[in-house]
Amino acid sequence: MPQSIRAGSGTRAAIFTPLDGAGRAELVLQRLTDAIVLGVLHDGERLPSEAELARQLGVATVTAREALEILRRNKLVHTKRGRDGGSFVTFAGRGANDLQDERLLAWSRVQMRDLGVHYSAIAGLAAELAADRASAADIDNLERILDRADAGTADAARRGQGTFRLEVAALSQSARLVREELRLQAEFGSLLWLSLRDPLRRERCRAVQRETVAAVVAENGARARQLTVTQITDSIEWLIEAKSILEQESVSQMPARTTTPEREETRS
Amino acid sequence: MTFESLIHSDAQSFASVSRIAAVFDPVFARLEGWAARVEDCASQPDCGQTTLDPLIETLVRTELADSDGMVIGAGFVSAPSFLGWHLAWWLGGQNQAESALPATGIHHLETVEDPHDESFRDYTALEWWRIPAQTGRRHVTGPYVDYLCTDEYTLTLTLPVYRGGSELIGVVGIDLSVDQIERELVPRLGAGGVPVTVINASARVVVSTDVHLATGALLRLPGLTERLRDRAPTPALLADGAHTFRWCGQTGLAVVVGPAEGQPIEVPKTKPSR
Repeated sequence: MPQSIRAGSGTRAAIFTPLDGAGRAELVLQRLTDAIVLGVLHDGERLPSEAELARQLGVATVTAREALEILRRNKLVHTKRGRDGGSFVTFAGRGANDLQDERLLAWSRVQMRDLGVHYSAIAGLAAELAADRASAADIDNLERILDRADAGTADAARRGQGTFRLEVAALSQSARLVREELRLQAEFGSLLWLSLRDPLRRERCRAVQRETVAAVVAENGARARQLTVTQITDSIEWLIEAKSILEQESVSQMPARTTTPEREETRS
Repeated sequence: MTFESLIHSDAQSFASVSRIAAVFDPVFARLEGWAARVEDCASQPDCGQTTLDPLIETLVRTELADSDGMVIGAGFVSAPSFLGWHLAWWLGGQNQAESALPATGIHHLETVEDPHDESFRDYTALEWWRIPAQTGRRHVTGPYVDYLCTDEYTLTLTLPVYRGGSELIGVVGIDLSVDQIERELVPRLGAGGVPVTVINASARVVVSTDVHLATGALLRLPGLTERLRDRAPTPALLADGAHTFRWCGQTGLAVVVGPAEGQPIEVPKTKPSR
């Protein structure tokens, strides 16, 4: 059924599409963790049952069970027994930021920049094509999405940006670009738009969204692409800066350098 | 355009319309059958979701079994005043997003029907509802990438359903795969040698035999915007004198034919505004 009966739920749909490739338990774990950290799956929301999850992701039930078990251990879900039982997302506040920081430390600068290049290739061309192919009705729809979007909190702004980017991708009329946009959002959205923690960044993000719509209205594909690529590059640079700060903090918190192997250090 | 090539072009646009109708008319005819069944059901005093949904499911199951992959999904969407916000919509098992299903299975589309939910969307504002509700006639929406259901490039055919001849109780609809439409249409349209392009009411290309025109792109020709505003069924020559324009019945699709071979193509210096 056409566009946006479930506005904003496109990334949710992507979370539960089948996985392929090796190391499936890790992939299930990573996808669900990211969805929770990103706020695509809300705090308190019930996850599908093990069997249902396995079916939707196209993995064995044991694989889904294993992933849920690790999510429980990481305190991202908790399980209730009984008639209204099931696995529920438990994720809010302080723990959320810690987990995001952990991800930030785990990614290298090279990986982050490469993610930026990949995402720019997808979202940039999508925006360029959208400027050429959007009809007047499409533009009305885009403007309505902008008007309704709430940039009050980091989560809301990230969801808003996800929806906006997805709608722009859909205007490219390319099913492949839309699928890739969804995949990248589901897997890396949490990291990519971490900069929206910053209220000033949220304001700027909205301004860029408005300018992008203006470029689409003006049928200026080059401008729409440039705005998109610049926004992604800025976001990646914010991440690298945040990573540098975290690294300095963890260095200054560490005791004086010793020759003790790392494993010993964390244990003490 | 010479008189001769104009006649040739016009003859081809006329032939194209009947070839396009051969693809879409049977689908609309089935939708008319569905509308009659829904209307029947709605006139019973005990009509509700529990009686209507199984009826629709049976109709969709048959449709999908007979469609050779052209139908992606289908169903009935209720007017809020009839059964509340409700979609009785089923998807086939063949699309990528549903690969976990058996090929013969159909799958109910789950949507948010609670208007207080954050993700709820008022579907009566969307084109596939709005236009048939306004005009009382069949309508083709798209092509568009349906990223919420199937990730497929889709055309949606809808038809309004009335109770007692005047009360709008919903729309029946069928989603068709643009890939399959192309396979059906391009061989039938390409025979005359002159490029034939099927567009929707926004000038978006549905299929074209012109290699330079991508499905999904907007066709920009002098005078086309004005033509699309005028719903009169009279065929016309576009302002560039090289293309003929003709509506495909009342579907909201149109055919642009031209330029004829050997005719200089006039590329507009500035793009006409949307």
